[in-house]
Amino acid sequence: MKKKFDLSSLMRSKLTWAVVAEALILLVCLLVRPDFFKISYQPSTGMLYGNLIDIVNRSSEITIIAMGMTMVIALGGTDLSVGALVAVAGAIALKFMRWDVTVYNTPGDYSVYPFFLAILVPLVVCILMGLFNGLLIAKGDMQPIIATLILMVCGRGIAQIVTNGKQFTTGYSPFRVIGQGSFLFLPMPIIITIIVILCVSLFVRKTAFGTFVEAVGINRSAARLSGINAQMVIFIVFAITGFLSGISGLIYSSRIMSNDSNNAGLNYEMDAILAVVIGGTSMTGGKFSLAGTVLGSIIIRTIVTLVYYFGIASEATMAFKAIIIAVVIVLQSEPVREHFAKRTRSRSQFARGGALK
Amino acid sequence: MPETNLLEMRQIEIQFPGVKALDKVDFSLRAGEIHSLLGENGAGKSTLIKCLTGVHHKDAGTIILDGKEVQPQSPQNAIELGISTVYQEVNLCPNLTVAENIFVGRQPMKHHQIDWKTINSRARDLMARFRLDIDVTRPLSYYSTAIQQMVSIARAVDIKAKVLILDEPTSSLDDNEVKLLFEVMNDLKAEGMGIIFITHFLDQVYAVSDRLTILRNGRLVGTFGINDISKVELVTQMVGKDMDTIFNLKRANVSPDAPYMLTATKIGAPGQLDEITINLKKGELIGFAGLLGSGRTETAEMLFGAKHITTGEISIEGKPVNIAKPYDALMQGMAFCPEDRKLDGIIGDLSIRENIALAIQARRGFLHPLSAKEQNDLADKYIKALGIATPDAEKKIGELSGGNQQKVILARWMATEPKVLILDEPTRGIDIGAKAEIQRLMLEMCEDGVSVIFISSELDEIIRCSNRVIVMRDKEKVAELDGNTCTQSQILSIIAEGAASAGGIAQ
Amino acid sequence: MSGKNELSSRQSLFSRLTNPKYVMVYATIGIFLVIYLFGVIAYGNQGFTTLRTFMNMFIDNAYYGISAVGMTMVLITGGIDLSVGAVASLTGMFIAYGTSVLGVHPLVCILFSLVVGIGLGLLMGWVIHYLNVPPFITTLTGMFLARGVCSLISRESIEIKHPMMDALAGWKIYFMTLKDGEWVRIRPSAFINFNVILFVVMIVIGTIILQKTRFGRNIYAVGGNEQSAKLMGLPVGRTKVLVYGFNGLCSVLAGVAYALYVKSGWNLSLQGAELDVITCAVIGGTLLTGGVGYMVGTLFGVLLKSIIPALITFNGNLLSWWGKIATGLLLLLFICIQKVVIGSTSKKSKKK
Repeated sequence: MKKKFDLSSLMRSKLTWAVVAEALILLVCLLVRPDFFKISYQPSTGMLYGNLIDIVNRSSEITIIAMGMTMVIALGGTDLSVGALVAVAGAIALKFMRWDVTVYNTPGDYSVYPFFLAILVPLVVCILMGLFNGLLIAKGDMQPIIATLILMVCGRGIAQIVTNGKQFTTGYSPFRVIGQGSFLFLPMPIIITIIVILCVSLFVRKTAFGTFVEAVGINRSAARLSGINAQMVIFIVFAITGFLSGISGLIYSSRIMSNDSNNAGLNYEMDAILAVVIGGTSMTGGKFSLAGTVLGSIIIRTIVTLVYYFGIASEATMAFKAIIIAVVIVLQSEPVREHFAKRTRSRSQFARGGALK
Repeated sequence: MPETNLLEMRQIEIQFPGVKALDKVDFSLRAGEIHSLLGENGAGKSTLIKCLTGVHHKDAGTIILDGKEVQPQSPQNAIELGISTVYQEVNLCPNLTVAENIFVGRQPMKHHQIDWKTINSRARDLMARFRLDIDVTRPLSYYSTAIQQMVSIARAVDIKAKVLILDEPTSSLDDNEVKLLFEVMNDLKAEGMGIIFITHFLDQVYAVSDRLTILRNGRLVGTFGINDISKVELVTQMVGKDMDTIFNLKRANVSPDAPYMLTATKIGAPGQLDEITINLKKGELIGFAGLLGSGRTETAEMLFGAKHITTGEISIEGKPVNIAKPYDALMQGMAFCPEDRKLDGIIGDLSIRENIALAIQARRGFLHPLSAKEQNDLADKYIKALGIATPDAEKKIGELSGGNQQKVILARWMATEPKVLILDEPTRGIDIGAKAEIQRLMLEMCEDGVSVIFISSELDEIIRCSNRVIVMRDKEKVAELDGNTCTQSQILSIIAEGAASAGGIAQ
Repeated sequence: MSGKNELSSRQSLFSRLTNPKYVMVYATIGIFLVIYLFGVIAYGNQGFTTLRTFMNMFIDNAYYGISAVGMTMVLITGGIDLSVGAVASLTGMFIAYGTSVLGVHPLVCILFSLVVGIGLGLLMGWVIHYLNVPPFITTLTGMFLARGVCSLISRESIEIKHPMMDALAGWKIYFMTLKDGEWVRIRPSAFINFNVILFVVMIVIGTIILQKTRFGRNIYAVGGNEQSAKLMGLPVGRTKVLVYGFNGLCSVLAGVAYALYVKSGWNLSLQGAELDVITCAVIGGTLLTGGVGYMVGTLFGVLLKSIIPALITFNGNLLSWWGKIATGLLLLLFICIQKVVIGSTSKKSKKK
């Protein structure tokens, strides 16, 4: 059997439609405002600027979380707690940098506790919270959506307890680097995102972990009876997702140099799930595509950036976002893809028949 | 014939992507007749039925019901036309009560409200007809699969259809329940209903049907009166080969001084299995006979660590081992093909290659992946060795037929080169050809020194292959017989009456 | 035969009540009573026992309750609807903008909201069933859309000023007591308002739909096993689409109730309300896997969720975020009970 270029199976792939959608959105930009694509270099900060850079930069929080979310969804679940974990990570980091307002009442370039604690502790706490989710799901045999709903409800409360309900700010420059620094002309969040994507992809595809995740997601009982430790797979996936939410939380709070228990990571779970689904991974679990997820996350951000760029009121972006996402999702829906696949198949058959005559 | 046909299907054709599922098939059903539909898996039985129930749509041909041409569009439409179906898998809602499952969608109404009283009392009457005295207001999930199957038959019967289709309704029923079902079927027949009966059990075909129709590879082989065709002829027609060449099998040769491979001493768990002891020699095949729920499956699951044991111990090659989960069993060189292939065996959306490599990969741990080449070699080797019918190794296992799926699962375990292989109903729901092949493979593995535990509901299979037969009853081991000398009737009487009265226990 | 049936139906009152399918409802009611009792013991002397405290739980959460009626049905089908908060908020915007800026009669605004809300619900149901898009994603998009339209209308809070709305919001029935031959308000005064009546009426309507109509039973069947429901010949598509439509109706009514409660419309109001509503349904015994749930359970779920802030207020020392944590713990407790109960009842009795 030789693999050949097959248009009808291409039409059936969700990823194809995600690529088409992104290309169309960018094409609209190109036609309406060619300067949308301008990238300039700012020597003073050593960074590249432009809408495209901005899209990738601003999508990094979601992309990072969505890497973990892809595996969660491949397991057939959803993790609703990631947004709350973002808030928790920020709260703990800021707590460690600014312990008490009475001692240091002006934000400045200092950290109360060693910097590595301010980074390490939030990440460890987020991993532990991820493991808590994993515990409920793997050992307690609960539905992921409801198990993670618990931390989603609690999480922001925990973040508020950590900071006693206060909003801290800091001016500590090493912390600023995470969200606002640059490396190789690119904003630091992009670099972090690339590293995360590389690590997750290598971990998933260069070991058999990806296959295990898919096997457990498709048929947990059969996977277990084949000798796969399904519980461990679930634990690892949720721990990774927790960890990535922590990283995302550090980036978020470094951008605003503050913690915000109410708004940090708000609706991130929604955006991350959306990114995964637009990227072509089915919510019923099974086969997943990390590349698709990255693309999905970028599509979502492109829409938002585009709407901002055209000067539409910020809160109203949601309406446009909804319309474009609706179009993408309808295009990706099974009946529509089948319809297109059938049409191309019958057309190519027709063409072949015509050529024979 | 003078009798008019209640249902007539003429020249039915259905085209699936790549295959012609049905090719000019004729089928007819008289009122007051039980008509068996036979054929191997993939012969087109299910497709023909689904065409009748509106799940698939025919590409050509006509369906005439009661003298009028009909075209069932959906299951709902088929029911309205008077075609009622019981599927092999229970197709009811586990969360609804027994009574509701019978009446949902056509509940009797009183003052524009659902009349629960009538529903419950009518359901009680219906269940009484099946000699079942159960609380019909409990959720269906509260009851066993057999009762659920009875409920789904009750639903189909109560619809008062003209045509009743029973698609392998007996696979989860025990003998008494089957007898009961046949009584009900005969009653309905007397009332003038036409019944289409699909089953893999040939004895049942002869026990209950008036005529039978055989399909092979999507084509009609013929329709026969029940007395016009012998069993052997029937099987020959179904598979296209004759039976002796199919089952030309030889029992495994076990030397008396062969070492014990697996010994399980008094393993059990309260309510699930009474302490049972098994001594399995190297290269030996032990058959487990017994009814559903007799503890056969529990034994297998406990040996493999899928269920916890509270008492007893297991040793392999004389060394005691601790098996708490399937992974531990895998590491000890055990392998297990579970009873429910679809639920516990296949990973439907993964390819044949991935499914075959799964157990080896699980043993190695995910940090030591098999390379793409190793996986391909493995897949190619077993596709060839087991004769798995597929264009290539990348096809999803879910798209294969039942027999081929079972072979892939066997391949998954053969690839791990196990010492002990446990097979729970490996031949259930697959056609005779594939059945014979799986039995042959099993015996070949015994020759290679693998010890096999073989669980099956079909006694002739057990007797044909086993060195020793363990008979289970009410979660207990009631007898251990010599496979060379035991007979079907002997086993049956033990199952029916218990070990004490049957006597004749070997060893 | 019939005599036996009568006997068994009389006999069965006890067995009907002990039917395992009701266990979760009992658990909800039980936990509510335990927490209420705790409140009575701890804060009884501070007025926790009064009827006023109890009625306030209804008054302050009526809009959640109204929405939870529709959400319960959606969850029973095995779906989820994330758009309810946004649609309710949109209703508030329509009423506020319509009455205060455009000068339209509020009834017209409500009617318009109903058309929009039910229409969006039906559309989402259609996409979910016929295009096979997961409910989570479909309704999330619906939420973005409704929220976006809110912001397009106005980005500031608009006060609702209309005699009819004022009259509705101010309408109260006080609980009275006979004292010295005269009817007087009980002290501290307790009352029922329009929202509470709407909430109770919706619960009753929801119960009737679920228990007494074929449509209601089809909802359960679809949630129990959609494939089976289809093969049993039930109208699966129509049921699902109508359920989302009905939930749209509930969202709009919840929006009306909320508008009456706060007397304003704001584009960011009720953010995250969808999860509160889902939480109410879940602690009321509705399974997110579908197929199981009762309106009575949801009623007590709403009360259970609202008793926590009440207790925190009475305590006085606890900060508000403990409410979130307590709710989360309640959810955890409840899911654990569900696990235990379901594990012990299903397939308990094997065949005889």
